[in-house]
Parts: sequence; C-alpha cells; structure tokens
Amino acid sequence: MKKWLISAAATGLISLAALCLTMGALAAPQATPAPPAGRGRGRGAPRRGPGGPVPLLSDGKPDFGGIWNGQQTIAGNDVTSTGPGSAPTTGVPPMLPWAVKLQADRAKNQFADDFEARCLPGGPPRIPPYHISMFSTPKLVLMLFEGNTHMYRQFFVDGSDHPKNLKPTFYGDSRAHWEGDQLVVDTIGFNDISWIDGQGHPHSKQMHLVEKFRRPDFGNLQIDVDIDDPGTYMGHWHMNRLTTIEQSIDMTEYVCNENNQDPGHLDHANNDGNHPAGSK
Amino acid sequence: MNTNKQELKTGLAKALLAIAAVLLIAAPAAAQQKKGHPNGVPAVPARKPPAPPSGATPRTPEGKTDFTGVWVLQGSTTIPGEPAYQPWAKKLWDDRKASKGKGDPESFCLPDGAVRVTALPYKFVQGPKMIVVLSEANTHSYRRFFLDGRTPDAQLELDPTMYTGVSIGKWDGDALVVDTVGFNDKTWLDPTGKPHSDAMKLTERYTRPDLGHLNVQITINDEKALTKPFTFNRVFTLAPGWDLQEYVCQAILDGVE
Repeated sequence: MKKWLISAAATGLISLAALCLTMGALAAPQATPAPPAGRGRGRGAPRRGPGGPVPLLSDGKPDFGGIWNGQQTIAGNDVTSTGPGSAPTTGVPPMLPWAVKLQADRAKNQFADDFEARCLPGGPPRIPPYHISMFSTPKLVLMLFEGNTHMYRQFFVDGSDHPKNLKPTFYGDSRAHWEGDQLVVDTIGFNDISWIDGQGHPHSKQMHLVEKFRRPDFGNLQIDVDIDDPGTYMGHWHMNRLTTIEQSIDMTEYVCNENNQDPGHLDHANNDGNHPAGSK
Repeated sequence: MNTNKQELKTGLAKALLAIAAVLLIAAPAAAQQKKGHPNGVPAVPARKPPAPPSGATPRTPEGKTDFTGVWVLQGSTTIPGEPAYQPWAKKLWDDRKASKGKGDPESFCLPDGAVRVTALPYKFVQGPKMIVVLSEANTHSYRRFFLDGRTPDAQLELDPTMYTGVSIGKWDGDALVVDTVGFNDKTWLDPTGKPHSDAMKLTERYTRPDLGHLNVQITINDEKALTKPFTFNRVFTLAPGWDLQEYVCQAILDGVE
C-alpha cells in the first residue's frame, strides 16, 4: 500500500515535471528575442544611408547587391517595427469578419501563437528586424535572410510567368520585371500561415503581393509594398519601406532553431551527449 | 484513524489530483505533439532527376567557369571511405552508428553545415564576386562563396563558430577552390554521424568538365579529430527544367502544414 502510494505520488510528480517541460515548449512562442549586439539592425539603423552612384549589373540594370539593415516601415513620421506585438501598423484596410475575429483573438492572446517565434518563416510581406543580403544577377535576384529563418527568396527576372497550380508556400512564387530603374516583384501562391505584421493581421491563400524595389542612390533601398487579399481585406493595403546599406558588418549565421525558442527539439537533437545544447 | 494513515490519505488524494490534472491538461498537448514529428523529421525522399544534358562547359562573360544551375547529387549522401579518426572521434562515430541516426541534428532541423549534403537539389547562382549555393532541403538555407578578395577574419570576429563556416573562393584555372573555416563541432558529416571538431578546415575544388556535370573534390583537415587529412569526391548532375521547391523542416517537425 505504502509502496503503491509512493509510486503513485512519484508518477504524479514526474508527469507534472514532464507537463511543465512540454507546456514550456508549447507555450514557448512569446516574442522573437532582440537581435544580439552586432546583428541585424532595425530601429538602430540610420534613417538615411550614404549617397553615391548606384552600382550596375553587366546588363546595365541597377544592382541591389549588398547587406541591408532591418527594414523600416515608414508610416508618416513614425517608424514601426514588425516584431511580435509591435506598434500598430497603419493603413490596414477594413477586414472581413473572420479576420477581425482572428486578429482580435491573436491580440487577446498577446500574440503568443506567433509562428515566427517558433522558427517558421514570418513572411513575406512581414519582414524581420535582421539584416538581409540582396544578390542581383541579370536573370535572378536573391533575397537572403539572416533571420528569423536563415532562408531565401528567389525573384525570377527571366520573363517567365507564375507556374499554374502553385502549391501554397510561405514565400510564394515571385516573378519580376523592370519598369525603368524599378524592379517590380509579383508574388502569389502563399499559404495562410504567416502574419502580415507583428499585430497578427492575417492573410489568405488569395494574397497577391507586389513589391517595387528601387535603389535611388548607393546607400538606400526603397520597397513599396502593395497587398491585395480579397479573402481577408475589403480594400488595398499599401506600405512604404526603406532600408539602408550596412557596410561595417556582414550577416551572421542565425540559427533560429538553436535560439532556445523550442528547447524540446534541442534536447532530442543533443541527446547523444556530444552536442552541447543551447546557443553556440 | 491515526496520523500516519491521515497523512497517507492526504498524500494519496494529492497524487490522484495531480495525475488527474496532468491527464486533463496534457491531453491537448499530446494531441498537438502528434501532428508533427517530435522524434525527428524523416529524411525527404529524393526526386529522380532528368538525365544530364551533354554539351560544353558554360562560361561567364569574364571567361570563368559558370556553375549556374540546379544540381542533384549522384549516388549516396554517405561519404565513401573511412576518415583516419583519432580514438575519441572514432568512438563517437561508432556510438552514432550504433544508435542508428538517433539524435541526428538534421532530423531536428539544424543545419547540415558545409560538408553534409541531401539527396534534394542545390542551386548555384553565380556573380563575378559571389557564388550563392541554395539548398532546397534541410534548413532551406544557403552558402555564400565570397570571390571579392575578402579574408574570413571579419566574419570570424563576428561569428567564430558556425555550422556552415565562412567560405572564400579563388580561381585556379577552370577550377573554383573554396576554403571554409570557422566551424562549430555540431554537424554530422554524413547520415552515419561522421564527426568533426571545431578545428575543421575544408577545401572544396569545384570543376564543371561539361554542361551536365559538377565535380567536387573535398578535403577535410581537422587536427583535433583526424590523424591525417581526408579527401573524397562527389559528382552532381545538372537537372534542366528543375527549380528548388520550398521545404520548411520546422513546419514538418511541428506539424504546422
């Protein structure tokens, strides 16, 4: 009897401990941690980059190549970040009822279910506060992310159209063309998992994103963003973004999955005893 | 009822309550866990690539070998041969082999690093000063080979130990030689768990003998883990008409998609 009791109590305690661990992992989301010193800069970046001539590609088109600071969203005189729970985004068109409810639920939940904080791609059009590297070639422009996921987008500038029957993805399918010195990137084929901003504004698989990239001088890159999503919004959403060149440091190797957001995975990954858990 | 019995009874009630609480709260948690792969993401099956085309080696406007294209590994992702390991590294490799892939960092969406490759395609995007290698699988990430004359020093100061390291390329005739340093010791060199230390230095010699083939000679120097350098070769074939698909390991791990 006594033995059974101890065993039951022990089981209870172990289960509780396991529960705490599991819940810890599941409830982990909260906010994306601030970039460590020396990593991508959002608000800390200069408002204007240096002037000077724009580098050109071999075909004479503007070369967007370089490391760019975390993009600032310019709304009037305010610069808003796009981290989880960040300041309200302006210019949000009226939402359909399901979206009103979903966004309100996310806010009520203090944005705890933000998948970006669980190392899933946060966008587009949402942008991380980390550096990005643009890499331009005449037929393909790459956007390489430092964080939140150390992934990439491809902009095809080869005259091709979106393939038919696109499988929905986080990054969608991007086809681009030049209008003067402006690269117009047209993206469709999104899944409906990511948020448009840190305020939990949703989008549907119908989202159509048009981004216009322009490098007016050496140190500045303007990105005009137009969002149309009839599955979610009753109007058009326009954002102006600006990012500045970063010449002093390169991107770091940001490994979100190692950044203690979901320690359960790391415990598994390191259970051979030879991989020190936690950060590098 | 004496004190002992009362304590027992209270203890029993507490334990039962705790268990009930655990069951109630844990049920949805368990349901959520089941959606994904909490014990690790299974390896993605390869897609059969088209036959590689024949033709001459493409060149860039500057006359260099042009590696641009989507490439698929020919043969196994397991590195052939046996590196001359120091005893600790040999034991670690043996232990990993015995555990049959348990704890494989790749299955928990951690980066494969610079040596390990998957059976899914890679894409080389080439400019005069940088070559970017995009990976479809693993972390859907990239390597950058810098050809702009920089040294690795600034990057090493910023980030001394990386999964993928910092890669500096230079031309040796038609071959591109890429030296990579700045590794941590966390990656497996192949699915069998071949280890390495943070002293690893990697030299890759890329050649494109014709349109359809990419050859890589890989030399690993690792004074902490090896008794002598280890060299092996890989061949990739061009997959015309292919591009990379989106693969998000974390979404599979968490059962989000």
